[in-house]
Amino acid sequence: MSYAGKPAVQHVSMDIHENEITALIGPSGCGKSTLIRCLNRMNDLIPTATVEGHCYYHEQDLYGSEVDPVEVRKRIGMVFQKPNPFPKSIFDNVAFGPRVLGLPDVKERVERALRSAALWDEVKDRLDENAYGMSGGQQQRLCIARCIAVDPDVILMDEPCSALDPISTGRIEDLMMELKEEFSIVIVTHNMQQAARVSNRTAFLIVELDADEEHRWGQLVEYADTDKIFTNPSDPRTEDYVTGKVG
Amino acid sequence: MPESTRLHYREELEGLETRALDGLDMVVQSLDRTLEAVEHRDIELAELVIADDDRIDGRYLEVHQEILTMLATQAPVATDLRLISALLHVMHSIERMGDQCVNIAKLIPLTGYEAPVHAEMVERTVRMGKQGRSMLSQAKKAFEGRDVELARDLVRQDDLIDDLNKEVFQLAVQVGEDVDTREWAMTMMLVARALERIGDNAVDIGEQVAFVVTGLFREFEDASHPGQAPLPSS
Repeated sequence: MSYAGKPAVQHVSMDIHENEITALIGPSGCGKSTLIRCLNRMNDLIPTATVEGHCYYHEQDLYGSEVDPVEVRKRIGMVFQKPNPFPKSIFDNVAFGPRVLGLPDVKERVERALRSAALWDEVKDRLDENAYGMSGGQQQRLCIARCIAVDPDVILMDEPCSALDPISTGRIEDLMMELKEEFSIVIVTHNMQQAARVSNRTAFLIVELDADEEHRWGQLVEYADTDKIFTNPSDPRTEDYVTGKVG
Repeated sequence: MPESTRLHYREELEGLETRALDGLDMVVQSLDRTLEAVEHRDIELAELVIADDDRIDGRYLEVHQEILTMLATQAPVATDLRLISALLHVMHSIERMGDQCVNIAKLIPLTGYEAPVHAEMVERTVRMGKQGRSMLSQAKKAFEGRDVELARDLVRQDDLIDDLNKEVFQLAVQVGEDVDTREWAMTMMLVARALERIGDNAVDIGEQVAFVVTGLFREFEDASHPGQAPLPSS
């Protein structure tokens, strides 16, 4: 993955497993967000971005010439760092995707998504109110509901709790544990305890510098069961990062 | 080069390890007094061993509390987590060894000032104690140096204590008909048993060294299946 010809992330090879939570951790600039955005072709929206290599989803290369990126993003949804509801009603936010895609039974679909996002009981009596009136934690769960309303297989989460307080963070983490029964989740997080608490597997990336220290890129150092990463990592660079010896 | 971080935490962790392992020196001091009290039937010194065990118990509680605080506030992981888990085990062993010294010290008044003495039994028992003392020093050195080979050697050292323990048992069986001498010999068997346990505790500390270094938690020897390599507890 390169921006304007300069590699941003390279040497990444990993399997992401179904119905598991996979965490991407690493220092700032290591390419976690770039990598997660490769998984549903979000980087296509950046004009200078180019991708080499392959990203297989059920044996289909997502970067194949015949693949429709909109269909990719329907199946592999995304939740961002900062809650980004539309300036519309709570109902319309969740109904947006199903309406655009012409999916049937929008009302039932919205209720199901809001229930799955553990938000229904809090909002069922004010579905017509503007989503901007919700708390930050509720807005983020609304974004999760909006994401799952179009029946994706995979949910990508790019630091979904970094703008939330500990209570809201706890709710999102509980929700992730429930959602993984139905969806596969990939999460980028700066909070290592969050990775340790919620994920099944963890990938650790670092920033590499070339000999002249002019170019830097992210690359994968270690990918293993989360238990192993946080109790007995194989690579000393992982050890130094998770124990906080180096920042 | 990446910048070093969490320096205060690292200092705290190093201090915690030092305070825990210093507990081994406290046990060595207690064991020295205990052996002297056994050898010379020194009841006053035995009482001092009993009173002084509060220091070891105090260290145990202090380190235990520090570990809880560190777990709650610093969320240690990887080698740090293994080290902290190992230090909990080590402190528990230290506390147990302190109690074994107390157990021996409590037996000394039972033999009395004028107890009949079987020189060979006393000699074997004191040798057991000195071997235990040497093992404690070796366990500390192995832990500080993260030296798995030195830690593993504790099993061989422990075999020497076990052999001496069996000799003490045989000598007690053959000690003769005199009732007072037999009673004394039985008491010395209990002393030997306590020293044998101290050897086992030193081996337990060695196993923790291997855990910190390798991440594998396994007994060096499986007591229930002697001679077989134990299975990892995973």
